[in-house]
This record gives sequence, C-alpha cells and structure tokens, in this order.
Amino acid sequence: MKRHFLLINFLLSGIFFLTAQTKYTVSGYVRDSLTGETLIGVNIYQQDQPANGTATNEYGFYSLTLSKAPLNLTISYIGYDKQTIRINSPTNQRLNISLYEGLQISEVVVTAEQKDKNVNSTEMSTITLPVETIKKLPALFGEIDIIKSLQLLPGVQFGGEGNSGFYIRGGGADQNLLLLDEANVYNGGHMLGFFSIFNSDAIKGTTLYKGGMPASYGGRLSSVVDIQMKEGNNKDYGMEGGIGLISSRFTVEGPIKKEKSAFLLSGRRTYLFDLLQPFLQKTNYAGTNYFFYDLNAKFNYRFSDKDRLYISGYFGRDILKFQSNQRDFGFKIPYGNTTATIRWNHLFNDKLFMNLSGIYNDYDFSFGGGQAEFQLNVGSGVRDYNLKIDFDYFPDSRNKVEFGAMSIYHRLTPNIVRATNGEINFMSDLTPKYGLENALYIQDDIKWNPRLSTNIGLRFSSFSHIGPYVSSIDSTVYKDFEHIRTFYAVEPRVSAKYSVSPETSIKASLSGTTQYLHLVSNSTSTLPTDVWVPSSELVEPQRGIQYAAGVFRNFFSNTLETSIELYYKDMNHQIDYGESYIASPADEVEKSFVYGIGKSIGAEFFIHKTTGRLNGWISYTLSKTRRKFDDIAGGSWYPVTHDRTHDLNVVANYKINKKLELGAVFVFATGNTYTPLKNLFVTEQDLNIEYGARNSARIQNYHRMDISLNYDPKPDSRKKFKSTWNFSVYNLYNRKNPAFIYNNIETDVNKGTAKAQAIKVSLFPIIPSITWNFKWNQ
Amino acid sequence: MELQMESIKMKQQSIFVLLILAITSLSSCEEEFIPEISSEPAQIVVEGYIEAGEGALPPFVILTRSTPFFSEFSQDTWSKLFVHDAKVVVNDGVKDYVLNEICSDDLTPEMKKNLSTLLGVDLDSSGIDFCAYLDLSFGLKGKEGGSYRLSVHADGQMLDAVTSIPQRVGLDTVWFEQPPGEPSDTLRRMLCYITDPGDQTNYYRFLTKTNNQPFASGSNSVVDDKLFNGIKFKVHLPRRSQRNEKFDPVSYGLYRVGDTAYVKWANIDKSHFDFWSTLEFNKNNQGPFSSYTRTKTNINGGLGIWGGYYVNIYKLIVK
Repeated sequence: MKRHFLLINFLLSGIFFLTAQTKYTVSGYVRDSLTGETLIGVNIYQQDQPANGTATNEYGFYSLTLSKAPLNLTISYIGYDKQTIRINSPTNQRLNISLYEGLQISEVVVTAEQKDKNVNSTEMSTITLPVETIKKLPALFGEIDIIKSLQLLPGVQFGGEGNSGFYIRGGGADQNLLLLDEANVYNGGHMLGFFSIFNSDAIKGTTLYKGGMPASYGGRLSSVVDIQMKEGNNKDYGMEGGIGLISSRFTVEGPIKKEKSAFLLSGRRTYLFDLLQPFLQKTNYAGTNYFFYDLNAKFNYRFSDKDRLYISGYFGRDILKFQSNQRDFGFKIPYGNTTATIRWNHLFNDKLFMNLSGIYNDYDFSFGGGQAEFQLNVGSGVRDYNLKIDFDYFPDSRNKVEFGAMSIYHRLTPNIVRATNGEINFMSDLTPKYGLENALYIQDDIKWNPRLSTNIGLRFSSFSHIGPYVSSIDSTVYKDFEHIRTFYAVEPRVSAKYSVSPETSIKASLSGTTQYLHLVSNSTSTLPTDVWVPSSELVEPQRGIQYAAGVFRNFFSNTLETSIELYYKDMNHQIDYGESYIASPADEVEKSFVYGIGKSIGAEFFIHKTTGRLNGWISYTLSKTRRKFDDIAGGSWYPVTHDRTHDLNVVANYKINKKLELGAVFVFATGNTYTPLKNLFVTEQDLNIEYGARNSARIQNYHRMDISLNYDPKPDSRKKFKSTWNFSVYNLYNRKNPAFIYNNIETDVNKGTAKAQAIKVSLFPIIPSITWNFKWNQ
Repeated sequence: MELQMESIKMKQQSIFVLLILAITSLSSCEEEFIPEISSEPAQIVVEGYIEAGEGALPPFVILTRSTPFFSEFSQDTWSKLFVHDAKVVVNDGVKDYVLNEICSDDLTPEMKKNLSTLLGVDLDSSGIDFCAYLDLSFGLKGKEGGSYRLSVHADGQMLDAVTSIPQRVGLDTVWFEQPPGEPSDTLRRMLCYITDPGDQTNYYRFLTKTNNQPFASGSNSVVDDKLFNGIKFKVHLPRRSQRNEKFDPVSYGLYRVGDTAYVKWANIDKSHFDFWSTLEFNKNNQGPFSSYTRTKTNINGGLGIWGGYYVNIYKLIVK
C-alpha cells in the first residue's frame, strides 16, 4: 500500500442520521509523521471544491467547516507527500494528520503539488521559505543563513557584504520586525552582520511579509520576518550537527514522554580565532580573541488535544577581546540577544483556538576597556516584557477570524558611559527610557465566492513614553509608569483576491503601519553599537502606508508559479542624523535627529519552479526609493543608500543523481549610493574633505555567483547514523565587489606635496568551503 | 594606544573597524577608485586665529580656495590655492584692524623663519609660497572674554565670521610618569590635573610638541566638559604625532626622556569646538560602512574657521 494513503488517526463519532446538508467541522493538528513536529501553513481543502479550504496556523492547527459527506479532503504541503482522506460522516470531528516527507519515498524529490496557495490565498507579498530550501543554497564559509536567503527573494534587498541589515521595499533596516518564536530580535547579526543569529538546525520555518501585513503584526513599518523554532521530536531521539570551516553546530532532540512532550537543544560556536590562540600566546597580544555562539532550546508538553505548552529560548553572544600587554591596554565587547517565550495553546472547541504568550527579550551591548588605571564602560540595549493573546475563530467555511491583544513594556538603554581614572568616576547623565506599547487587532478572511475573497483587518495601537524620567525639555520629573506622552494609531490592513481562472488571480492590498521604536545609524550598515530609541517626548512614531497589487499565475499544474507585484509606499516621520552629526556619548542621540519623509515604488517579478530535478527561481525587482529631509541635501529628494534600481536573483537546484545535488545562486544589484567628496580644503596645512550632496554618486554594480554541491555518500543507507558533505564556493568568478569606499589623504606640507585618493574596498574574493553534516536518529 | 581624552569621546565604530579589518585582512582587497570629477565651483576657505594668554601668537588669517578632488598635489598646486589681494578686517568691538597680505617668497630669511614658527611649516623645504594676512600695526591683541568679527572681501565675495576668546581655564599641574604596562627607561607619559568650572560648558583644545617641532594637534584635539563638568580630575595628555610621523605602537603618545615638551592647552568657544570636532570626527571615521560628517564652519559664505583661543602653554623637560 502506498504510504500516501497510509491511514492517520482520525476520530469519528457515530452519528448517522445527520443529513448531507448539515454543516460540520473537521479540525485538528497536522504533524510530521517521523518527528511529531507540527507543520505550519499546510493546505487542507475539499478535493472536489478546492476553493473550500484552509491552512494550518502557526501552531499546526486547522479548522474547516464542510457541508456534505462523504467527501475527500486533500492535504498538501511543500516537501511532503500529498494525502487524501475520506470523510464519511458529516459530524464534528477531530482529525489529526501525519504527513510523510517527500524525500523519504521518492527517488527524485517530488514535492507535493501545493494547491495554488500563491494564487488562491488572499494574502500577497508573503513568502514562506522552508529551511530545507535554505539548506540547499550555497553559503559563505558554508554557514547556512536564513536572512541571507531571504535576500534572494523579490523586493528584499541586501545591504552589501558584512551587513545583516536588509531592506524591504525601500524600508530601512530597522523597519523589519524580526521575530523568533514571537520574541523580538533587535539585532539579527553576528560579526557585524556577516552572519545571522539564526541557527538553521533549530529553525522550522520562516515567513516573510513584505506587504499586506496581517493585522496580528505591528510595530514596524516595512515587514515582518516570522521565524519559528523547531519543537523537538516527540517520538524518537535524534542528533544532528555539522563541522564547518569557521564554526560547528550540534542539535539534540527527543521525547521526554513519548508523543506527549519533547525537547530540543541546539548550539553553534565559531572557532576560527580559537585556533590562533597558541600563536598569540607568545605575543604581546595574548588574550585577544573573537568568537560568537548561539544556543536554542525548546520544550513542549501536550496536556491533551486541547492544551499544549511551549517554552523556548535563545541566547547568543558575540565576544571580542583585545589585549595589548606591553602598554597594558585592552577591551572586551560582548553583545547579543536573549529571548524566552512561554506559550499556551488552548482549543476551546472545534472553532476557537487560543494562544497565550509571555515573552521576554533583551538585546545588550557593552564595551569595557581601558589602559592602566583608566577604565571605560559603555553599555546600551533594549529589554521587553510582552504579554500577548491571539484567537483564531473559524465560524463557518467562509470566514476565518483572528483577533487578539498585546502589551509590551519596553526599557531602552541609551549608550551610558562610565569611566574612571582611578580617582574619579565619570558618568554620562543619560538614563534608560521606558515605554508601554499596546495593541488590539481583528481581521476576517472572508471567501465571498470561489472567485473573490478578502481579508479585512484593523489594528489599534498605542505607545506611551512612561516614567521614571526627567524631561530634557522642561526638567519635569515623572514617576514610575507615569505617562509622559502617548501616541495612537489606527492601522487598516486590507487585502483582496479575485480569481480570474483556477490558475490565475489578481490581488491588491493596503497596509497602514506605525513604528514606535527607532534605530538610526550613522553608518551605511547597521552596527551592534547602534542604539534603539523609543518614541518619546522628543521623537514621534514613524508612520507608513503601502499599496500593492499583483497578478499571480501558475503554469504546468502549478509546478511553475509566477507573479508580478507592484507597490507604492509612503513613509512619514522618517528619522536620520543631521549631516554634521558626531557621536558623543554624553548626548541623547534623539537631540541629533532630523526628520523627513520617504517614498518607494517598485515592481517585482517572480518565477518559481517548485518541483522536478531542476528547481529554483528567478526574481527581479525594479525600484526607486527617495527621501526628503529639510536638513539634508538642502531639502531636496535624494536616493537612499540602498536604493536599487535593478535587483536580480537566480537560484537553481539540480539533482544530478541520488548522491549529488548541485545548487547555484547568481545575484546582480545596482550599486549603493554614497556621498562623494566634492572638494578639498586646507586647514593646519592638511587637506580636508568637503562633501557633495547626500548619496549623489553610486558605487559599481554588485554581482556574484555562488555554487554548492551536496554529496550524500550513502543515500539508501538504513543506518541510524548518516553523514553528508557540502562543498560551497562563494563568489565563484572572484568578482571584486565594492563593499565600501573610503577617502585616503596624505599630506607632507614640508615637502609641499599631498595625495588624495578614494579607495574601494572589496571584502570577499572567491571563498571555497567545506562542511561535514551528520544526523543520527534512534 | 592613547586613551583618556580620546576614549571619553570614543567612537565605538572604530573598534568595529578594527574587528572587521582583523577578520577580513586576509581576504579583502583595496584598489583606487576614480570618482567622477566634480565640477563644483571653488569656495573661499578661511583659516584664522586670534589668541590671548601668555605666549599667544599674533592674529593671522590664511585665505585659500577649495580645490576639486585630484590625486596628486604638487608645490605648485598648493601655492595656487592662496587667495591674494583680499580685504581682511577684524573688529574687536572697538575698532577695525586691517590685516595685510604677506607671502613667504617676499620675506627676508629671518622673517621667513618667524612665519615658519607661526604657521608650523618649514617654509624652506616645502617650496610653497605661503601667504597670510597679518596685522602689521600689532595693535590687535586677543583678550580673555573678547569677541572678534572678521570680514573678508575677496574675489568679489563677502565673507564674515565671529569668534570669542573664552575665560581662561588652565591646567593645575603637569608631570611625567612611567608609561602603563612594561616600565621604560626612555619613555614617559604626561599627566595633568585640571579643575573644570561648573557654571558653564567649557570647550578645550590641546596641542603638543617637543623641542623645535611645530605644535601638532593629532586626530582628536578637542573635548567638551559634558562628562566632567565642575570637577577636578587627572587626565593623560598624550604626545601628538607630527604629520607623517611613522606610527609606532610602543612609543605612541609618549615622550622621550630628555626632550623638551610643550603643551598648548587652549580654551575655545562652541563654534570653534564644533569645527574641529566635526572635521576630526569625519577624518577618523573613514572606513568600513562609515557615513560622512559635514564640517561645521563658522564662516558665513565660505569654509574654514575663524577661531579664538585662550592659550596656556606649559614647557617641561621630560624626565
């Protein structure tokens, strides 16, 4: 018997006299057959009437109201075998489904035909990227990187090498809501941003909303990147890991009580500089080191089919130590994120699902160092306590209603400087700022008829700058929790889909968004030293509205997905530093802010071949992003640093045979803008720079090709222990892409000569890497 | 590495530059980049100072033009930057003083030597025809608390600027100690005590030199008192590198035993502070991912600085 049709545990009740016209609800969880891991976004629909369908939510739960029986339900999910389940009796029933990974059975990866999700769902500008897809892509130093993979999608622009920031539809790097199991991640980069903090072995999936943002998300202007951690295998113990050039990773998971509870622990650490330690020991620089690590942990317990508890956490740090012993100089910089999420899923009945979350997250940067008796400490960070409740309500087959509320208590610490010279302590008189962010939302996804569906949502949000605080405007003293200034926002979130044919639809959306926390960088990248600041008596929230429309068309039985999306975005109250800004630890950065507006317009083209030996995608984005600030560029419109006229990504995977799979990525992007030097002038017999207008020049275009080869020496092995190899070549044709430009000026007035040069620096030449991956399952 | 003054206003970004360079030094590649040549018109650049205090220099103004970016500068290009035949007037609130142009090529060797000291340039070896505007009546003198308006009429353009000489805040004591880390027979570091007045924001600039060198300002010459307003504290005064001095991590910021060291500790006003802090911040911030900082000038209609100093000069033998 084909495993496709292997039976599943479903609960039937034996009520026979209900007529075929009676409505009834089928609900339950969809899980992976081997690991028991819940699956997100699985499509479940009536086979003879595909428009009547639903998808599992973030916790793998679905509820579908049907009106006749018997009928066949089709369950499909990318990477898994499609299943058909017969429903014989028209009664409310719990139907938990186990899906089988497509890889396990087929010789060639035949991913299950995904039922037109891109065409048929109301949502647009949304992309779900399974970790399995990401793992096949070539990666720098073999480090699989979720954020870098997202940057291969249309409308997502990378910041350049060494920049973990990404720019969605012309938005800033701080305008993306980066969530790890619902916890806010304020800095997603390691090593300045060369790598992201998300260890792919611990990650289940990633969903990116670049427009048409659901009302359940808020707090950022441009996008949401929702990353879910794996739950852990609740059936068998397993281990997996890898040894790479610069880091190693190890994950262990298994049941605590079979089928009831499971855990997952995962870690990653770099060791490049550790290997250099023996050489450094004999030098003046003994003690200098740099490394980063990540730890992910998750635990879940299923009390019953109605109640489930999840506890998950992340802890990661970058640590840089510098030591120069001869002159007794040294410093240490640790920085990183901590998150903890506790969630309770409760099913009130077949139609009402609830999730209650308590979330803690913290980003913390510190610098400590000095020379001899002089010591300096600088620290900054963000800490949130978040309580959130979400309901999914499935009243009938036409509506899916989601509503909920959340409240976040923020503490934002600016760069606080403490210094001592051995006798006297110096301290900047900056103090943390506190904020209370609240939101209520409701949205209804309505299927009006097989052709037309809408998702109408509304989000109300507020943000209060609260005490303790001493006003830097009028010195008023505010007590704990006393409101200083409160902002409100009504954020409409509307999208609509009209199916022209089963394979073609047109969609449109509108999203109003508001952002209460801001990160303003004085660099062209985002650095760990950049400080998040709240809306306050000094700073107003950023507000934006995005309009998008698109055509979605699938070909060849939905194996080739194509889409064209157009967007226009207005951004108000955008923030930047003035042109003569200098970083001074004694000042509130808010006092150096200047304000303006922004707009972005673009067209995104996407062709995605989802199945077959050769699969992959081509994405192309044509866009234009401008800003206008009274205090910058004389008040005229100027392009943002990451303005990309053209952005092309080609991603391909080719399964050569059972053992070998080839991956390739090609990227082309219009060069970043920069502010050129205009003239030189002399003071103290030295040359100084007078700059031209902001971002009035561009560096060269960026392009690069990477390839990878995944080798599975024993694909048919039934042994518990399996290992595979990944060979990657980054920047295959050794293109010297400019990462940044700096100006170098040398003067020798005594000889009466000088030299001024602009130097283009490219970071990564061709870099081959090799990673050995292993997996053990009980 | 010099800390103290530097570290108080430390740009953490530069630490990351260090990290990035460490990590990418094996793989990164640098090459010259030829940007489009700007066709922006030249602007007039003012560099003028008026000093008060013991050892104060006579006021002078240098007028040059800004020049488009090009990679090589010869003595000739340098000489051509000077703006000649300008009308330069300084008003001290009482009367106008006209400053007259003097060029090094027209001077006697002795006068040239004096001008060399004034400007901190070896005029003989530079081969540049240096020009400056000076008050040849020697009637104009900077005074503590004074305010001075500069007007320049050159090339059909009018420029003006105002600067002030703030109240004197000198150093309490200056002395030498062994450098931190391994003791040295030949190197010393300089320390001082300063008592910052608490009733106002004070701005300081300091320069150093040894023996017959000109005063050098280093790359971080100014500081405000935001972190130490109203207190007496000890501060390290690193020796400033001369231009084109080779960087030596062992002796950097330290003084050689037996040398004569000079510290020029100057009190400046806010706009004078803003000029150097933006200019130096921009210079130090040339590197990975750095943005630009536009230099804040106090010259209306041009670039540069018209700066007042209350100077406190300390001379010590290094021991």
